[in-house]
Amino acid sequence: MTQAVAIDHHEPIENTSTGLNSRKLMMWAFLGSDVMFFGAFIATYLVYRGKSLVGPYPSEILDIPLTTLSTFVLLMSSLAMVLALHYVKDGERNKGTLWILAVVVLGAIFMGFQFYEFREFGHLGLTPRTNIFGTTFFILTGIHGAHVTIGIIWMGFMAYSSHKGALRPDNALDLEIAGLYWHFVDIVWIVIFTVIYLISANDGPPPGMESMITH
Amino acid sequence: MANLWQKLTHHKGNGWWNLPHTASNELNPPHEGPVGGAWLGNWWRFWTHGGVSHAGPKFYWLVGFILAVITALEVWAFALEGLGAWYIPILLILAVAKFIGVVAYFMHLRFDKPMFTWFFASSMVVGVLIFVALMFLMENAHTPVLF
Amino acid sequence: MTTKALTFPRIFPRPKATTGIWSWIGTVDHKRIGTLYGITSFIWFIVGGIEAIAIRAQLATPENDLIGPEMYNQLFTMHGTTMVFLVIMPLSAAFFNWLIPLQIGARDVAFPRLNALSFWIFLFGSLIINFSWLTGDAPNGGWFGYAPNSGITFNPGLGMTYWIVGLNVLGVASIAAGLNFIVTILNMRAPGMDMFKLPIFTWMTLVTSVLIVLALPILAVAGIQLQTDRIYGTHFFNSLGGGDPVMWQHIFWLFGHPEVYILILPAMGIVSEVLPTFARKPLFGYGFVVFAGIVIGFMGWFVWSHHMFTVGLGPAANTAFSVSTMLIAVPTGVKIFNWLGTLWGGSIRFNTPMLFSVSFIAMFTIGGLSGVIHASPPTDAQQQDTYFVVAHFHYVLVGGALLGIFSGIYFWWPKMTGYFLNEKLGIANWLLMMIGFNLQFAPMHWLGMDGMPRRIYTYAENMGWETSNAAASAGGIILGIGVLIFMINVWYSMRNKVEAGDDPWDGRTLEWSTSSPPPPHDFDEIPQVKYRDDFWFRKYPETISEYYHDHNEHDQAVPSGAQNDLEEENLPVVSGGSDDGHGGIHLPDMSYYPFILGVGVAGIGAGFLSNNAVLFVGVGILVWGMLGWSMEPVNDPEPEHD
Repeated sequence: MTQAVAIDHHEPIENTSTGLNSRKLMMWAFLGSDVMFFGAFIATYLVYRGKSLVGPYPSEILDIPLTTLSTFVLLMSSLAMVLALHYVKDGERNKGTLWILAVVVLGAIFMGFQFYEFREFGHLGLTPRTNIFGTTFFILTGIHGAHVTIGIIWMGFMAYSSHKGALRPDNALDLEIAGLYWHFVDIVWIVIFTVIYLISANDGPPPGMESMITH
Repeated sequence: MANLWQKLTHHKGNGWWNLPHTASNELNPPHEGPVGGAWLGNWWRFWTHGGVSHAGPKFYWLVGFILAVITALEVWAFALEGLGAWYIPILLILAVAKFIGVVAYFMHLRFDKPMFTWFFASSMVVGVLIFVALMFLMENAHTPVLF
Repeated sequence: MTTKALTFPRIFPRPKATTGIWSWIGTVDHKRIGTLYGITSFIWFIVGGIEAIAIRAQLATPENDLIGPEMYNQLFTMHGTTMVFLVIMPLSAAFFNWLIPLQIGARDVAFPRLNALSFWIFLFGSLIINFSWLTGDAPNGGWFGYAPNSGITFNPGLGMTYWIVGLNVLGVASIAAGLNFIVTILNMRAPGMDMFKLPIFTWMTLVTSVLIVLALPILAVAGIQLQTDRIYGTHFFNSLGGGDPVMWQHIFWLFGHPEVYILILPAMGIVSEVLPTFARKPLFGYGFVVFAGIVIGFMGWFVWSHHMFTVGLGPAANTAFSVSTMLIAVPTGVKIFNWLGTLWGGSIRFNTPMLFSVSFIAMFTIGGLSGVIHASPPTDAQQQDTYFVVAHFHYVLVGGALLGIFSGIYFWWPKMTGYFLNEKLGIANWLLMMIGFNLQFAPMHWLGMDGMPRRIYTYAENMGWETSNAAASAGGIILGIGVLIFMINVWYSMRNKVEAGDDPWDGRTLEWSTSSPPPPHDFDEIPQVKYRDDFWFRKYPETISEYYHDHNEHDQAVPSGAQNDLEEENLPVVSGGSDDGHGGIHLPDMSYYPFILGVGVAGIGAGFLSNNAVLFVGVGILVWGMLGWSMEPVNDPEPEHD
């Protein structure tokens, strides 16, 4: 019988064949689906890495300190998310609401960074039409930004729900599922930060085309 | 085959790797102090689970701190500019560490039923395999390969 | 429940109707949704069939000018797209919906409203794609939409945009349905039904659903990239901007090859149900069939480049994909031998479902073997873009998937309606389809070997292709008459009702244990499962010892490959579903939010095709539907108790 005791003692044993909650199982399956979605975009980026025929090239345009800051913000929003879930599960409604709001605010700051970055790149002459770097960069980060935006709306709804007292320990699963989505968006950014920003930060023109840089 | 299936779908023990110990199905351990007993394990458990059998805020702050440190390391590796061929592997390892940190602790896979891990890991495996294969194919797309 | 919950103001009252149009729009019943899927996709089947007949009419004689080249391009594009996305996939989905809850002993799927949503999105997506016919600008880039031919430079019309938007909308529907069925099969099984007591059709549905969930996002990516190329001038597939059209082929076939198995695995599942029933024997090598299905589902990811042998990937890549393609024939062959082993020594009845299933084995084997032939790159270089390939995939998809689906229709029709389909008309249907099918597609083998290319709207007189093409066109007409006889059969059997009873075929799985047609709650009492093919052994307990040698041990109740579902057996509280002990059976209440959300998704799709105002209206409807949905309880509180 000991095996049957749920791993997390806050949660009731589910009345299903596997003992797992159906909605949570579906969320994980959906995240598996989203892995393929982002995987295809990231693979496209990597295939086309360093194949831009005209500038601006990543080395001329990427602002690593700025992006480090926005990465840190998104990482901390994940921390806020997991703390919010903890407090909601413990029935500490006010703390829970505050931490959910923190997620919303941090997510909004991240989107602000992205908006600023897109504008800056536009001023520096990089658009999705400029070169293949612009194409792959804007579409990938834009799709990620759309995911974050959906997450912010979802979290805003959760904060409202928690504020009204409709989010309680017994239905904290609602928040947990939203949180899974949020964390997933965060890990996608971990990959994007590494492959687009850090790894590509020194990418210049393709070999043999250095002479064509226009400063 | 039946045994393999059980390994695939059933939760036995504490999970897939044994760090830190998930004490959720055990009673709260008596606090034995740093001298008596497995003090390192207890110390770890105190920090990771707040002294109770479920991960607490302190643990999450700790994970968040470690993730921030890894991010700092990544940017440091970028700033060093002298890593040469090691640069990309180091970055990838650090990214994987962060990835696992968020998935295992923030998304609770470490504390949850393994079937969730299998769901996510299997799609990751398929995705990584096919997309890495795709990159190899495209890398060689325009260079004749003598074989 | 006394807890507080957020509420969302209703504009319409919650639907309660049990008859009439509103009962269908608000339905969350898996059987009704299955019927909707079936009817809708059959209508598209007729549309796709008419497109095929038009193609064959054009090709019947050399230098024919019945249909111009532009129209011809639209016809073969829409024929392929329709048959893959609007016919075979949703017809399989009709079976998933109807049968999965019945086969696993559940009262509904895990997410009934999501299930309804899948259908509505599918319906609107299919309408979007076919709406292009009315604008006179149907997609014309082939069902694979190869860049740069599908790009804005060579294809400036709206046709390919309809194609992309429609496919992405359909992809959303498929992913939602796939997620639903994964969770349903894992979580809603009746007590005692371990994974290795699941019917094979359920297993194949599970594998198919996993493939859908993982493969369709890649199609979405391909669609988004092509769409941004077309509309915003990005360079994903534009070599002048650093992109590479070969990348489209890779991404499309990364989706496209798993898609092939999405099409065929449900038919394999159907056949694996029909053969044991009509041979009156358990499926030979259950475990092998299951694992072969899983292995096909996994290996199907690593063969995509065999569609691209002539692109010039280099000898290393071609060798690797040649080997993996040949290897995937092994699990497929395992299944074929298991089906033959099932028939061996059985007391076989050749009713219509069995006729279709046996022909499935034969036709699918032919199609599979021609597939193995062009797994070899040098051979494939000869056959690429010829009618040999057309013959191959029609043998697999018509001779495979479609015959399997027809077998399933004849097999489960009595369960779905309570009445038999007429047997004589059924045999006529089968015979005409078999003659027509082979007459149409067998000559394409030698047409292809003789060098006739695909996707050309006509051919010269002196090529020696006249006879074969005329035969193929005649075969197409016979095949069409066969389908017509099926429709006559349905009409005739609805008029002259022959009661089938609950278990007309002496079935083996749980769906035959309930009444025909099943009540809205499927089972009066959730069945307790002890054996694989539980219903059979409940009917014939004397045969248990024949198949389960160690019948003293409960643990041995399942032969090799079995396992005990630890969670299930150790959990103290496991009951079959929503029956929570106080007498009544709770079914989820009806809801119109799935329909509203579907309209919203369709509105967004239409917005991409027209203008931003439509897009914003679509988003507005979507948000309304989501908010209402998320705050709508599955069951409205009952006034009497709780």
